Amino acid sequence: MSAGNGAIGNGSSNGHPGNGHRPGNGSGPAGRSTRTTGYSAFSLLRHGLTKSAWPRAWREHDLQRSYDVVIVGGGIHGLATAYYLARNHGIHNVAVLDRAYLGGGGSGRNTAILRSNYLTPEGVRFYDRSLELYRHLAADLNFNVMFSRRGHLTLAHNDASLRTMRWRAEVNKLQGVDSEVIDPGQIAELVPYLDTSDTVRYPILGALYHPPGGIVRHDAVVWGYARAADRLGVHLHQQTEVTGIDVVDGQVRGVRTNRGDIATPIVVNCTAGWSTLVSDLAGVSMPVQTFPLQAAVTEPVRPFLDAVVVSGTLHVYVSQTDRGELVFGASVDPFTSYSMRGSLDFVEGLAAHVLELMPALSKMRLLRQWSGLCDMTPDYSPIMGTTPVEGFYVDVGWGTYGFKAGPVSGEAMAEAIATRATPEIIAAFGLDRFGRGDLVGEKGAAAVGH
Amino acid sequence: MIQLPCPWCGPRNVAEFRYAGEATARPDPRTAEPQQWRQYLYHRRNACGWVQENWYHSAGCRKYIRLERETLTNQTRPAGAAR
Amino acid sequence: MTQQQVRTTTTSTGSHRLDVQPGELIDRSRGFTFSWNGRSVPAFEGDTIVSAVAAAGERVFSRSFKYHRPRGLLTADHHDPGTILQVDDEPNVRAGHRRAAPGLSVSSQNTWPSLRFDVKAVNQLAGRFLAPGFYYKTFIKPERLWPAYEKVLARFAHAGVISPQTAHDYYDKRYAHPDVLVAGGGPAGMTAALAAAAAGARVLLVDEQHELGGHLRWGDEADLAVLSELRSAVAASPTIEVLTNSVALARYDENWVAVVQRDLPGIPERLIKARVGTLVVAPGLIERPYVFAGNDVPGVMLSTAVRRLINLYAVRPGSRAVVLTANDDGDRAVRDLRRAGVEVAHVVDAREGGDVVRVHGRSGVRAVELPGGRKIEADLFVTAIGWTAPTALLNMSGDRPVYSPEAARFLPGDGLPPEVMAAGGIAGDGDLDALREHAEAVGTNAARDALDRRRRTRSGLPTRATDTGTVPGGSGAAPAVEPVPVPTLPVRSHPALFRASTHGMVDFSEDVSSSDITTAAREGYDSAELVKRYTTATMGPAQGKLELVNTVAVLAEATGSTIAATGTTVWRPMYVPVTLGALAGRIFEPVRRSPMQPSHDRLGARPLVAGQWIRPDHYGDPAAEVRAVRERVGIIDVTPIGKLDLRGPDVAQLLNLLYINKWSKLGVGRVRYGVMCAEDGVVLDDGVTGRLGEDHYLMSTTSSGAASVWEWVENWLQTEHPDWQVHVTPVTTAYASINVAGPRSRELVGRLVEGVDLSEDAFGYMNVRTGRIAGVDDCVLWRIGFTGELSYELHVPAGYGLHVWEALLEHGRDLGVSPFGVEAQRILRLEKGHLIVGQDTDGLTKAYSAGLDWAIKLDKDDFAGRTELVWQQADGAGPRLVGVQPVDGSVVPPEASQIVGEGSRILGRITSSRMSPTLGRSICLAQVDAAFAAPGTQLTVYLPDGRRIAARVTDHLAHVDPEGARQRVEEGAAPQPARTAEPVARSPLEPAGTEHTVAGWAVGDRVSGAALTLADLGPLAKVAVRAAHDGRVARTLGPAFGRSQRDGTGALVVGSGPGEWLVLDAPGTQAALRERLAGLVAADGEFASVVDLTHGRALMVLRGAQAPDVLAKVCAIDLSEDSVPNGAAMRTSVAKLVTDLVREDTTAPGEVTEGGELVPTYLLHCERSSGEYLYDALLDAGAEFDIVTDGFPWPQTEE
Repeated sequence: MSAGNGAIGNGSSNGHPGNGHRPGNGSGPAGRSTRTTGYSAFSLLRHGLTKSAWPRAWREHDLQRSYDVVIVGGGIHGLATAYYLARNHGIHNVAVLDRAYLGGGGSGRNTAILRSNYLTPEGVRFYDRSLELYRHLAADLNFNVMFSRRGHLTLAHNDASLRTMRWRAEVNKLQGVDSEVIDPGQIAELVPYLDTSDTVRYPILGALYHPPGGIVRHDAVVWGYARAADRLGVHLHQQTEVTGIDVVDGQVRGVRTNRGDIATPIVVNCTAGWSTLVSDLAGVSMPVQTFPLQAAVTEPVRPFLDAVVVSGTLHVYVSQTDRGELVFGASVDPFTSYSMRGSLDFVEGLAAHVLELMPALSKMRLLRQWSGLCDMTPDYSPIMGTTPVEGFYVDVGWGTYGFKAGPVSGEAMAEAIATRATPEIIAAFGLDRFGRGDLVGEKGAAAVGH
Repeated sequence: MIQLPCPWCGPRNVAEFRYAGEATARPDPRTAEPQQWRQYLYHRRNACGWVQENWYHSAGCRKYIRLERETLTNQTRPAGAAR
Repeated sequence: MTQQQVRTTTTSTGSHRLDVQPGELIDRSRGFTFSWNGRSVPAFEGDTIVSAVAAAGERVFSRSFKYHRPRGLLTADHHDPGTILQVDDEPNVRAGHRRAAPGLSVSSQNTWPSLRFDVKAVNQLAGRFLAPGFYYKTFIKPERLWPAYEKVLARFAHAGVISPQTAHDYYDKRYAHPDVLVAGGGPAGMTAALAAAAAGARVLLVDEQHELGGHLRWGDEADLAVLSELRSAVAASPTIEVLTNSVALARYDENWVAVVQRDLPGIPERLIKARVGTLVVAPGLIERPYVFAGNDVPGVMLSTAVRRLINLYAVRPGSRAVVLTANDDGDRAVRDLRRAGVEVAHVVDAREGGDVVRVHGRSGVRAVELPGGRKIEADLFVTAIGWTAPTALLNMSGDRPVYSPEAARFLPGDGLPPEVMAAGGIAGDGDLDALREHAEAVGTNAARDALDRRRRTRSGLPTRATDTGTVPGGSGAAPAVEPVPVPTLPVRSHPALFRASTHGMVDFSEDVSSSDITTAAREGYDSAELVKRYTTATMGPAQGKLELVNTVAVLAEATGSTIAATGTTVWRPMYVPVTLGALAGRIFEPVRRSPMQPSHDRLGARPLVAGQWIRPDHYGDPAAEVRAVRERVGIIDVTPIGKLDLRGPDVAQLLNLLYINKWSKLGVGRVRYGVMCAEDGVVLDDGVTGRLGEDHYLMSTTSSGAASVWEWVENWLQTEHPDWQVHVTPVTTAYASINVAGPRSRELVGRLVEGVDLSEDAFGYMNVRTGRIAGVDDCVLWRIGFTGELSYELHVPAGYGLHVWEALLEHGRDLGVSPFGVEAQRILRLEKGHLIVGQDTDGLTKAYSAGLDWAIKLDKDDFAGRTELVWQQADGAGPRLVGVQPVDGSVVPPEASQIVGEGSRILGRITSSRMSPTLGRSICLAQVDAAFAAPGTQLTVYLPDGRRIAARVTDHLAHVDPEGARQRVEEGAAPQPARTAEPVARSPLEPAGTEHTVAGWAVGDRVSGAALTLADLGPLAKVAVRAAHDGRVARTLGPAFGRSQRDGTGALVVGSGPGEWLVLDAPGTQAALRERLAGLVAADGEFASVVDLTHGRALMVLRGAQAPDVLAKVCAIDLSEDSVPNGAAMRTSVAKLVTDLVREDTTAPGEVTEGGELVPTYLLHCERSSGEYLYDALLDAGAEFDIVTDGFPWPQTEE
């Protein structure tokens, strides 16, 4: 991909010299001073006193005729990829296209649960790096994403799932991740509202306890990345829908949008829900099926639930926000669809299962339900990296776990694009694994994610 | 709760059915190449629009039925019993 | 806030109650008191909590959540953001709607003052510094401090408190199938309902208020006259069901509408799930607040709030008022105020350009400031500046409402599907007559379309007899009634008032002001969705009803755009918040029990929840149970093992396709172990299958795999090989299954069996026989050895399971027989090295990785998974299943312990592990990388406690008796069959009344004669027939799928499925019936099979005029005459259980006579093991109709 590579190597056309590869958690967006626009208690005070206006979090631009990299999808994955391209690799001439508004897809519809207690070593390493980035994201982006360490409980209601929890705990420990299987007594101490008696239909036999797990303000993550990427010269284009991808001789040449065409050697598919449709534009077939995933929120009540509680058997997970609302999620809908209208079935099952876990919540009121789209892969693991079409990269197939992987995905995809080599941390997630029949082991014990 | 047009039972709530996925043809196992076989195992069109798919009426007539569904609106129409 | 502070905000304790008002809802003859923040408050029946508290002079009901500003009542109805209160243990109660009741304990629910700093300071700080997104802009560094900040911020969360003691009350649900559902019971809604009913439709009329009438309720005499006329007309209509204090929560695909019904006797909330023909949306309009400085000061009210207080509750809202009016309703409010003796100090008319600047005061209005600085003293400021159309239901139906600058509100767009219509004020303006004219036409057309659709869907139903009547008014092809033209309602010009010259509150429940929205827009959060997410405007408990349009208007102003161009955000369900209790309803979780459960209970078995099954884990000491099996004999209840009856000439072919091993040469009387793989080569299930006859096999599956394997088999037969002649019948619980294992098992079984020679030569390992056990015929005996011991698996007709089980215990006492549970079985099979699919294999384990090399027969042309297994064999990829023993036999590595190499590289894991009572050491099965699978390989096991122990790969999977020597047991002389008690068959249902026996079945004798009864029909003979759905057999049998009828002999023939019949006859006749039917179908010379399911099904009868109402709570099917007439048969889901339903109306329980008044009667049957569950679910649903259980309704003949 000489054409694309030349442009990248020399930095980008809008005058930001590439400052090479700087991995890790640097402090603050690189490139320019953020003093005048930075967020802090002090600046808040100053703006309060002077009543002066805050600057725009990100700017609007005309669509350039060409970019070094065009990222399709203005959610957390696309924005993070753009941010790390600019910050870690000095590639600033980047466009992020979104057909609606930033973070309007999965990034704004998920339940913002963070954890790294996966089943396979590759999964654990990957998500743990993401958790690490999340921990420092506020300082990194100068935007408080309100990361809240809550502890994450995955309940086991039968021998089989208890065995799976043990399996995950052991793999986690060997990867240095804090996970352990705890008994009903310990569970009751962490979440007194849980019915831990053994006389219920689904007795709680134990749980996988993952102290580092928690929640974060999902919109803040999107806006934080958007603002930081904007500061580094990335162009964010909302209301810009990709209608075609030009491929000549098996190589990407550009994209067509409702606002005009763009020449580019590199297109990154960072969409969720529509990832097969976007890949189809480049003529790349994806082992992906799109299922709606629904969620719901209650009216606020005073805080009573600190930990994040998940029950795979009952297909429900719940956490309480700082505002006092309970946020519920479940497993994906029983059949594929691109519909985001949601179903009554979902909230009925959800409520029943929540009350089986915590009978005392029957008088709480459900305020709102919504849904998003999940691209499910055959092995419950993402598809990341190159494709048979040169210059067409994918960061898709995120199922129900895309949000927690946002930062590490952006970091790894940026590295893959800038160095033209697949980083070890995503080596297991290549598209070619399906042809080889070499699936990732997360399928080994398919439990509900989150 | 959408209803599916079961050719045997008439319209029934989708909760009575199990989704059996997009209709796909099984390659000849004696001649299939790995790529082709794994295409059959893992790849689906996943189209946004009308698709042909199979459902099992597990809480009804216990027949596998084939129907067409618009995956954006979830409208359905019959396509005859699975054959 | 603390109760103390509330009291201090009370302006007066004197009563603000007015004299009798014409339309008042309160009953002054019935007074009582309840507690308001610890203070006793008087109330009348009909008062809402808020009206009573307001009548007592209270003005401040709560404090706002961010800035802690005092809040009073604004709308005085359900949507009032300032009057959301704690009532007893119930949080967030809409006190503007909830009726007051004696003894309630009501309190405000704010916590902020509990933060220890001066509230005033907070208010000053808040306004300036708690700018939108202030969280995001601060607390960033140092990182370690954020958790501390967070704890403080969490205190901001106001709202109510839940109690861990709150009981899960009786919430429930029911299904409804109205032709027309009218959402909104105002004049338009009532008129539409009446018109629809007149056109022949079944109508559900839903209104949020406690009584029908909408705004007519607070109108003048003329309005009240129309109201009473409409109300009596509705009450007089038999086809209109009225639900007050109920709300249409949401509309989902295909007009699936959720309605919540509140405050029913004994039921706090009920969810109604309605499949609606046509949805008529007639909610009227919601009055919109005005945005200006101080618009949230207590004493600022909407004109509708004032009129509700005065006219419905006779409460004086203040003493000196200023009114801002832009419409007639504002003018009417002025008249009402004057009538109520409130001094109206000034009226600002917006239609003439009048406006206000701000309201002065903190805990109450002190003065209203007009442009030019004029201040008018007042304690009440009333605004009537316009309306919001509650378009939620339209929006959920796919419509995008459009903004009309003329009307200064949104109107329905053109995106409505034909099955959703809007009526009345939401659709346009006009006087009462114009609105009713519009609604009348809409209601008529709604009915017409609905009946048209209903007729079309009904006509194709298999449950309808040829003579089933047609839909009301809907005969022939012509639509029910002619469509009537719908008059278009005019759109009156209305001043566009959103924000005054000052900034004020936009979202009262989230404390978002117009300046917050302006700021957010300037920062780039400039679309409706972004500003919503950034400021949280419209995301609070008010759900946008009051604040959405103001939010959009302020945003448009800030971005220099128009409201129309800015658009709104999407309304999502729920329209109003609904309790989790109502959404959950009765929680249906089917469970399955074995016929031997009573014995397990007596023996003190520790229950194990295994999927839907409740099984004995152990009876006290698993190790002792293991020793009993190894040394003597034990029996285990293995009823949950999946069993499929396979019949037909092509079964062998089918087995060859499903299993990885060969089946063509399996002789009659032989059984074989088989393993199934999915198409990706991953192990799916295993079990033994026996050949009972030339074309007759019995397949067993794992208990957890029973359902999915059956589906898997059907899938291959129906989609890949429809030409194959195979009939599959699930018989899992037609048989009670007992495994008799141990060196003395032959001796024990020999004492009870008749007609089977148990000797090694006559009945060797892996053989099957049928015979008589303990006096019970048609038993199947398998000689197999999951435990590794000599053992016989007995499959007994389920009704006799308990009898045989107890006979084994009794006649094995001298042999030291002991029951053993699942845990002992797990140990035994592990000692023998038998894998458990799903434990020793996982979602990626291909057959070669499961140690099944010996079974895989790649030389077969094809079998499920073969292709992948060919490749796996070639590349030898994947882990291997091996036996493992720790070097230190006293250590049992917990299952899932990891096997590690250098650098903690994971090489595999322990899949099963136990302490072996037989070997006195720990034993394991493990999955390890192929490279480490060779016998003798030294492994390191990493234990959960961090220790690393040494272990060794064993020579075989089996730890005990790898050679199978234990199958060869010294044979004693064939024992004489012992005399056993007369077998008694038992249905899964507890006999109602005194127990007696009918045809060898233990049944109850109660005949209650009650109006609604549920009775056990379990003992009836039940025989299934399978054949082509359209062949000669079908014609011979009579009823097609979906219908039932009595044949010449009086047997009930049910068309239970396409090409599937169930014949019911007198108890004890199954053998004869089976013969008769076999003869019938044989005569037709077609491929057909006859299977006796008498013991496989639970059968009960629900009878009574209210039987359909009972079923409506547990079954989604519309049971009306034109869908499920007498004689109909169907399979569907009842209480989440697959159930067969047959309608056979009767005059007396159980019997059918000619003529006479027929009562709705439904036979329900399901798999036997779930019978008790279904029975209980029906009794639970029938409780509110006083259902009674009866015994087996059969004339007592013999004995």
